[in-house]
Amino acid sequence: MTEVLCALFVVIGFGVGVTVGAKSAVRRVRSVTAEIFPASPLSSGGSLPAALGGLEAASAVARDEAEASRESLGLIRRAMDSLPFGVVVIEQGTAVDWRNTVARNLLRQTRVGMVVSAAVRRQRTAALDGLSTTETISVQGPPERVLVVSGFPIPRDGEGSSGAVIIEDITARAHLEAVRKDFVANISHELRTPVGALALLAETLEDETSPEVISRLSGKLVDESHRVSRIIDDLLELSVLESGPVNQLTSEPVQALVKDARERVRALCAARSITVNTVGVAALDVPCDRRQLVSALSHLIENAVKYSEVGGSVSVRAQQVEMDIEFSVSDTGVGIPAKETRRIFERFYRVDPARSRNTGGTGLGLAIVRHVASNHHGDVSVDSTEGVGSTFFLRVPSVGPPDLGRKART
Amino acid sequence: MPEELRKGFHHELEDVQIDIVRLGQSVIDAIPRATNVLLDSDMEGADILIQGDDELDARSIDLEERCYRLLALQQPMAGDLRGIVAALRIVGEIERSADLLANICKGARRMHGHTLDPKVRGVISRMAEQAQHLFSRAIDCYAEGDAALAAALDDMDDLLDRLQVELIQVIFESHEAGRIDLQVAVQLAVIARFYERIGDHAVNIGNRVRYIINGWMPEHVGAAKFHARGVKADADRLALPQP
Repeated sequence: MTEVLCALFVVIGFGVGVTVGAKSAVRRVRSVTAEIFPASPLSSGGSLPAALGGLEAASAVARDEAEASRESLGLIRRAMDSLPFGVVVIEQGTAVDWRNTVARNLLRQTRVGMVVSAAVRRQRTAALDGLSTTETISVQGPPERVLVVSGFPIPRDGEGSSGAVIIEDITARAHLEAVRKDFVANISHELRTPVGALALLAETLEDETSPEVISRLSGKLVDESHRVSRIIDDLLELSVLESGPVNQLTSEPVQALVKDARERVRALCAARSITVNTVGVAALDVPCDRRQLVSALSHLIENAVKYSEVGGSVSVRAQQVEMDIEFSVSDTGVGIPAKETRRIFERFYRVDPARSRNTGGTGLGLAIVRHVASNHHGDVSVDSTEGVGSTFFLRVPSVGPPDLGRKART
Repeated sequence: MPEELRKGFHHELEDVQIDIVRLGQSVIDAIPRATNVLLDSDMEGADILIQGDDELDARSIDLEERCYRLLALQQPMAGDLRGIVAALRIVGEIERSADLLANICKGARRMHGHTLDPKVRGVISRMAEQAQHLFSRAIDCYAEGDAALAAALDDMDDLLDRLQVELIQVIFESHEAGRIDLQVAVQLAVIARFYERIGDHAVNIGNRVRYIINGWMPEHVGAAKFHARGVKADADRLALPQP
């Protein structure tokens, strides 16, 4: 915010400078004219050609300076128009404020435009009273928008007051901020809970003599320590994935990838007596990092199994869709509330913290899937209805980089 | 000087429109919050929303008074007059929708402590989403003066009506399966109705926008049908039939 203000002050300051420059140009023309014509040119004794020459010189100076100031005014306008936020320059007594392109677009005759323009009016009044204030407007959609409107006075000589109002669209930033805050809160919670349980179990174990209780407690100790190590494993995997796209892609048969992924969740399926159907897995090859893609697929299948009712079924598909291979994993489970679908790919994000605790997940599965997708220049999306079920789609390009053909599969 | 007076009048008209759009936006913002109250048992949010409704009432009254003042003092004509008359109706529709949201919160309070089926939750959140969508489109068409969008609202409302029917069905199923008791089932049915009514208010706003732009009124459709039946419209015939 401060940099924005500074930049704006520089631009506006420059503008004021140019206006002052134009005024001084006029003054200078006057003084030049006065030098050449100490008195009225015609009544004086000076020669007429000399007087006319002087007049020409004076007007040339005036023309140049006016041209220069017009040019710099145009430059400032263009600079203001290319700023990534709305600027409204206000002056007391003028009916129409100057607005840059972003401000003009924001303050159109639309719902959001009108809500913002009411805020601009409030800031305008405050700025002309010499106050710097800021307000944040969050507008529900569709489309959802978060905007910051701030007004500040611009000091100037002489009468009247002037100022500027800036309008910034911080929708994306506000979203990122929320993600970051939640991540910090969640990671400490996710790690603390099992570690706290470990300490508590160990303490109880210390004073325990009954062999039955000891075996029950140590069983729990093992479970909780597995949980911590799973979270740490997933975090490590995630940080490897985050370090950037994969360099070496190999061409892998889709059917084998799906088979491997199913294999990984076999035990869980058996425990919950859920059948995984692979329907319509096309006999295609896909350029990928085998380990990463299998991990992503198994996370998707694992989730589908966990959130299905006992005895339910999960189906896995893979087919060519346009230029991509699309893997889809569908379940008939509890589904995801519509407002959460945007956030479930965040690390540690939980739709229902109470229920997730029972599933024993680390909260990192979908974040891993999303990173695998982006490392393959693909994407992951979800289609879900609460109470009906969810389908996750993982798409990766079916054509890899040009040098792929030469790399033999091992 | 008269020119200056007229300028003030148009400024005031513009201000009224902006404030109505802001009032509408407050309702749009409140829809997801009320749904949160309902689905996540956010009782603190319920208190805030119910109290917030009083503020909306105050803003509506203020807007109505400004409209009356314009009518009484400025003698508006044609488009301006339609704008003010429609504004009075639109303020009413928005204010009523805000009341419905407060009612949803009150219903949520009465159901506090009961858990809902994922299926029920799913249909409720779809209804809420559709109501919000419809209402923001209604305010959009008022802000932008878009008669075509206004006319489309009625069709968009059909989806909300169908969702209400679906929700009632799901409530029956949930009740039969013994997952919710009768009291909660009735509360939910009433709440389904509240969301559906918000959609109807959005459609009414659309109708008023059409009236501002081209003088169209929904009553004209009914009147045209009446005339088409060839019945002479006189006061005696329209009176209630004698026993």
